[in-house]
Amino acid sequence: MFQISNQVIANVLYWIRQKRWLLLTIIVGIVLYLLPAPSGMSDLSRPDGAYHTLIIVIMALVLIITEPVPLPAVAMMILILQVVFGIAEPNEVASSFMSDAVFFIMGSLMLAVSIVKQGLDSRLALGIIRLTGNKTWRIAAGFTTICALLSSFIGEHTVTAMMMPVGLILVRSTSSDPKKVAVLASLLLFSIAYGSAMGSIGTPSGGGRNVIMMGYWTEFGHGTVSYLQWMKHAYPMLLIQIPLAVIILLTTFRPKQRVLDTAVRKLKVQVTKGGKMQGREYLAIAVFMGVFLGWVFLGHTIGLGIIALIGVFMYLAFGLVDWSDLNRNTNWGVILLFGAAISIGIQINNTGLAQWIAGGAMDALQFVAGDSPLLQITVAILLSAILTNFLSNAAAVAVIGPIVLNMGGDPIIMGFAAALASAFAYLTVVASPTCMIIHSSGLVKRGDFLKAGGKLFIMSVIVLLLVSQLLWPLF
Amino acid sequence: MKFLLAVGSKEYSEPTLNIGSRIAKAFDADLSVVYVGSKPKEMFAGRVNLALDSMVKWEIYHPGIDVLRWAFDYLNSSGYLESEQVNGFNPENIVQENDRIRMVLQGSYGRKVDLILREGEIIDELRREAQKEDYTLTIIGGSQKRSMAHDLIQYIPTSIFVVKSFDTRRDYRLLLLVDDSKATKRAVRFGATIAANQGMEVDTLTVSKSENFGPGYSRAAKAAGRFLKSKGIPHKQHFLTGDPVDTFVEFASETHLMVMGASSKSPLKKFFLGSKPIKTLEKAAFPILIVK
Repeated sequence: MFQISNQVIANVLYWIRQKRWLLLTIIVGIVLYLLPAPSGMSDLSRPDGAYHTLIIVIMALVLIITEPVPLPAVAMMILILQVVFGIAEPNEVASSFMSDAVFFIMGSLMLAVSIVKQGLDSRLALGIIRLTGNKTWRIAAGFTTICALLSSFIGEHTVTAMMMPVGLILVRSTSSDPKKVAVLASLLLFSIAYGSAMGSIGTPSGGGRNVIMMGYWTEFGHGTVSYLQWMKHAYPMLLIQIPLAVIILLTTFRPKQRVLDTAVRKLKVQVTKGGKMQGREYLAIAVFMGVFLGWVFLGHTIGLGIIALIGVFMYLAFGLVDWSDLNRNTNWGVILLFGAAISIGIQINNTGLAQWIAGGAMDALQFVAGDSPLLQITVAILLSAILTNFLSNAAAVAVIGPIVLNMGGDPIIMGFAAALASAFAYLTVVASPTCMIIHSSGLVKRGDFLKAGGKLFIMSVIVLLLVSQLLWPLF
Repeated sequence: MKFLLAVGSKEYSEPTLNIGSRIAKAFDADLSVVYVGSKPKEMFAGRVNLALDSMVKWEIYHPGIDVLRWAFDYLNSSGYLESEQVNGFNPENIVQENDRIRMVLQGSYGRKVDLILREGEIIDELRREAQKEDYTLTIIGGSQKRSMAHDLIQYIPTSIFVVKSFDTRRDYRLLLLVDDSKATKRAVRFGATIAANQGMEVDTLTVSKSENFGPGYSRAAKAAGRFLKSKGIPHKQHFLTGDPVDTFVEFASETHLMVMGASSKSPLKKFFLGSKPIKTLEKAAFPILIVK
């Protein structure tokens, strides 16, 4: 008689424990598939396609948040189900998977590795300290400002990766007892993280989700937005946010240490050990400046993604970075996932699902606030801002983008609102890579994210609403 | 023999490291001290690792390395490590392996000591570590989470020692739970070795639901008594009636360290109905060692 050993049973039970969210997702997916589409979808051109797309989105969101399977598996599921559910033909799915936005995400992740590996962080640290001096509030303000301005060009996690050691050195040089410097650590690390997060809206190259939105505008026939046009809309908001964020951080975290002269002195000694800038470092900066100018002047014609890849090629060709470093530090699974997310985003639009969700949301809210552009933009901002605290900002825009562009109003304005709001990932440890990076230091508590991030979130929503109503109509 | 000892933080793990290293010494066992840190979400893992790599250039290491450094200093100062570790804890000696980083040290009297850093969910990582090397015992501090008891006993393939409310300044007595299960014999041997090495007196406790103690129980209790006597371990035997788990917990005092055998129930029954060790561990406010 066939008997199953206790070891096998124990292994099966363990597998069920580890994969319970996967099993639940599959069961929910099957149940939803067997149910009829909601009646409101019958008016759409492809009601079955829209409903099946909705099922894929629900399944994918649950799997991305709970992570029972690796992200590439979720990406594959999205692609597979589009074909299996008859939403799109295989070649259509394949062609929507790879786009300039995906090239940009790939290129920017690799550029981040290339830049961080140059060791320019010590030069940056020296420059900042020379500007800010040794008063704690000035250092915090300097970190917030410089991180915001830099990340608008090179991305938030690149800047946080470079600046975090600087912040940690200042903290550790003040006292080796973590309890004595807990508040100082929170102030400096949140200045770095939140400054970097805010700044990523400033230019298209600040974040992959900016390029995803630009791709949607083009794909759905809403026109194109150039690098400089993006800056015109986003930079005023950033410049308003920076001083307000500094005030919020300084009032939330009030360390006892008002002056960090010992820590600053030790930092200066440490960074000057590196000696003068070498030719390699000048070359690395020159390559990046070339990439930046390419984005500004050629982005429109050859695509931001291709230019990012040119930059990576140059770093590799000049031997400024090894392929092994790029390979190790580039999360290829994330690139696959973003490709799949953009692919399903296109189907969200093409099947009419975006229109159904957008229409339903606006109909529901009309009872509260009537049919107003302000309501439309507020919903777009809040949807994006809340979702980004649970998903990555790029995934949030990939899913929300098509919905927001169908909510009514000017799609360019609505798209900007959603894309900029996706930067408001301040509330939780898992909200963004910058939050995870500073949390990995072991010096910031989970509660601090809500304490400072909550205020920053409210401020950012208000500023974005004001900018969208008072400034953007002038352009 | 090889023991796996999980530490969580410098603040709370001293009792675990104290009693864990003493028990490893009693068995002349190799010891692996593991710190399981939280893992970044896969979406951001590459970028977090980039930041951590960038910190290494500034000689700022993963916070888990700090905990391992503290564990190293503790073991060194308690004489557990070879006296020639003159260079102290050196992060340069850490080796990156597939799913963990590890530092190999020389323990005193030829024992081997590893310091290991893993990232992920604690049960998952301890299970992986336990399956990677042939560990006999996993030692871990107490947890507020009720489900931890079930997960530890059900999914970690080694004996489990949960160090709850252990006071390093207190003199403990060993409380050995004796019944007619197969695991009791192993528990008695294990407990006797600890008691003999640590100079602990022993209480044995046999609990029956009814007044009638079956022949299996009597045989087991006599065998345990004979074994303890042969080892010269002072002991008292107790026979009580009542619900076993409630009686175990009521009898144990704050100076007891409990040792019991694992349940022989199938994993499915344990999953749905629990077991005496699982329920005892959930209710216990004292250190408890479950021998598989």
